[in-house]
Amino acid sequence: MTLPRWARLGAQYLIVVAAAAMVNFALPRLAPGDPVDYLAPPESGPVDPAWRQSVLERFDLDGSWLQQLGSYLGNLIRGDLGVSVIDGRPVAEVVAGRLGWSLLLVGAAVAASTVAGVALGFAAGWRRGSRRDVGLLTGVLAVDALPAFFVGLMLLMVFSVRLGWFPVYGAVAPDDLSGWAWMIDAGQRLALPAVTLTLVGVASVFVVARSAMISELGEDYVFMARAKGLSDRAVRAHARRNAMIPVSTAALLGFSTLVGAATVVETVFSYPGLGSLAFAAVRARDYPVLQAVFLLLSLVAVLANLAADLLYPLFDPRVRRLGAR
Amino acid sequence: MSGPTGRWAALRPSTRGLAAAGAAMLVVVVGAAVFADLLAAHPPDRASGAPYERPSAAHLLGTDDLGRDLWAQLVFGARVSLLVGLAAATAATAVGAAAALVAGWRGGWVDAVIMRAVDLALSLPFLVLVLVLAAYFGRGLDVLIVLIAGVLWARPARLLRGQVLKLRELGHVVAAEAMGAGPARILVVHILRRLAPLLSSQFVRAAAVAVIVQSGVAFLGLGDPGRVSWGSTLYFANNGSAILTDAWLWWVVPPGAALTVLIVGLAFAGFAAEEMADPQIVSHGWQRPIRRRLAEEAPEPGPPGTVLDVRALSVDFDGAPAVREADLRVGRGRLLGLVGESGSGKSTLGLAVIGLVPRPGRIRCEALMMGETDLRRLGRLGLQRVRGREVAVVPQAAMSALDPTMTVLRQVAEAAALGEAADPAGAAADMLARVGIGEGRHRAFPHELSGGQRQRAVMAMAVVNRPGLLIADEPTTGLDVVTQQAVLDLLDDLRADLGLDVWLISHDLPLVASRCDDLAVMHAGRIVETGPTAEVLSRPRHPHTRELLAAFDRLEAAWGNPGAPGGGVR
Repeated sequence: MTLPRWARLGAQYLIVVAAAAMVNFALPRLAPGDPVDYLAPPESGPVDPAWRQSVLERFDLDGSWLQQLGSYLGNLIRGDLGVSVIDGRPVAEVVAGRLGWSLLLVGAAVAASTVAGVALGFAAGWRRGSRRDVGLLTGVLAVDALPAFFVGLMLLMVFSVRLGWFPVYGAVAPDDLSGWAWMIDAGQRLALPAVTLTLVGVASVFVVARSAMISELGEDYVFMARAKGLSDRAVRAHARRNAMIPVSTAALLGFSTLVGAATVVETVFSYPGLGSLAFAAVRARDYPVLQAVFLLLSLVAVLANLAADLLYPLFDPRVRRLGAR
Repeated sequence: MSGPTGRWAALRPSTRGLAAAGAAMLVVVVGAAVFADLLAAHPPDRASGAPYERPSAAHLLGTDDLGRDLWAQLVFGARVSLLVGLAAATAATAVGAAAALVAGWRGGWVDAVIMRAVDLALSLPFLVLVLVLAAYFGRGLDVLIVLIAGVLWARPARLLRGQVLKLRELGHVVAAEAMGAGPARILVVHILRRLAPLLSSQFVRAAAVAVIVQSGVAFLGLGDPGRVSWGSTLYFANNGSAILTDAWLWWVVPPGAALTVLIVGLAFAGFAAEEMADPQIVSHGWQRPIRRRLAEEAPEPGPPGTVLDVRALSVDFDGAPAVREADLRVGRGRLLGLVGESGSGKSTLGLAVIGLVPRPGRIRCEALMMGETDLRRLGRLGLQRVRGREVAVVPQAAMSALDPTMTVLRQVAEAAALGEAADPAGAAADMLARVGIGEGRHRAFPHELSGGQRQRAVMAMAVVNRPGLLIADEPTTGLDVVTQQAVLDLLDDLRADLGLDVWLISHDLPLVASRCDDLAVMHAGRIVETGPTAEVLSRPRHPHTRELLAAFDRLEAAWGNPGAPGGGVR
């Protein structure tokens, strides 16, 4: 295996994307129930076979599975994701309208939880077992244990219902706003979901940052840094540089966790992202939309992983110079 | 200290507090689940009152929009959460452990395939995947448990595999393998047993995640319609707009708090399990400064010609003594060798001089005179200023004493900047050149240097500020014989060039004896012999010294005589 690093990474990620696409293709066909059941629930009486056939054709569910796979992949490559069962709009259009909002929310939460988690984790790990360490650890573990939707509901209750600072339900920014007014409006809608999602993500970064700090402090180069007369501050700087290596990976891997958690959070706040779309699609058995959302979210997670792999050498010269993992 | 009680005792009191709190929370939840039938007077899933009732004696927490008793939902909900948590975590940990053992043991392509599957499972968005799967495969609790386990196994698999790889390299595992123990025996006896702590902490983690996922799915209204759970209570609360009225207090808060208690309980228990798995008490993170007894008068300086005078220095670790009342003198212009077996306390003694004993070590001594200054009387900052500028150390593990993320030049310059050099980078480059690292290698990272070069770089870092005394702790371990001699020659050169006095710590008597002017022998924390090298070698007074010498003589007899002790072993 003497392939260059980028080629191996690229191949690995292509496999992940392909696997997500295959999961997407296989699941609706393996599972009981089909869109006809949603459009005309079985309990409301028999369905006209001709109409049934036309629905199946429209969603590419007729023909052998090989034919179905062929047309599925063909459509995927052309960017044709089918039409939504709910309202008949092209899925690509439905999804595209939500993607930006999702990236905004998850991106903000990843950034905020990384900054907070790293700062708190390094502070806690500096003196393991000290009062500050145990206090921070207890607090972060407790915050982590709060279910996201519970936090969301409580924040809504306090800041939207009681204090009236933020909108309660229905978060699509009105079209008639523009410029600053639109920004402020969007910020207001973003604030509570982003805070909730940040609280969800902060613990995993904290735990990695803390234990990375602890293990770096036990390293011989830290001892040497002390022995040569460096101050605590300078010693910490050495440990931090090295501890950032595992932390940077963990932070970006947290992306896919938060993408998942966003489903719940977006639903609580009626935030117009992909997560609440996925939820609506699941409820309505809107397979084309569900598939598109899942594929897109997988893609986002894969890109975050790829970013982690590409950023890794920036922190670790051993990888940078050797060009291998 | 390998049994569970020993592990528990090894925990810090604060960690023990967390573990106890976690256990108490879990007991409450388990109690509610077990005694749900006794605790609730009404069924959780059928109407037993009017809709939206406020709390009353009949309905402790009121009723929901369908008139169902909320208190009953609270206690019965514990069953669902615990069931999902335990079942999914058991399945996920078992699958993860099996995958880790196979991958870590077989290696090669089996490992590659399994680890790619792990990467795949870890990179797909977790909750979305469960939702998608749940949408297709039905909403029963059993299905959900399988789905959660199906996504959750990857994380324990990855962590456990790393541990398996580490354990494989352990001496006794390698030995067992070499003696022909079958893989099944090795896996079970040697590896699985050692994985137990990590397994238990991963199990607890998986249980917590499973509980969170189940409640999330139920909150979205996609849970098992036949089961009342905390998540489903919150689903109905959200749909019934409970947060717009007072009802949030008895409808939203109790199930939310119950989930929090369960998950916090699991998290604390898991944290304690992790700490027990890794009772790494020793860290260089924080050293207690040398204890000062300022009431007494300043001790008198050592006799003339003494660089360092250590009087009655003791170090103990939580009551276990490592160094006992050691007296030692480094004379000006004389090379002092301190020998002793591993564990005799010689390194600890060397480090104690500059206050760098690993936690929880405690240093006590009568006097620690460096010329006129008593090092004991310096505070933390004072001691910090002594390090590297007056007393420098080349630590035992010089191979790994360089920060892997920085070029050697930068690291030496960082030390030089603490001294008086006007141009730290220039001073660092000069010193690196002087120890024999050519200019072309100055901007190399530590991993790009050979072992001997790293050792030299560490020496450059230690002496760049021209300290009066250099404590070299086993400076030749891990080097081949030729490099060992080169490093010792370098020490000699530096002594002559910079006017350094050197205190050499080693387990290697012949090596030390061939070069040192004075010799001290340490045994079980005590200095048992000290004096000029020739004197100690010819008239050893302590039985331990005689033992060391006898061992050396036998070696010499076996190898022919390349050089008598004291006569140079070059």
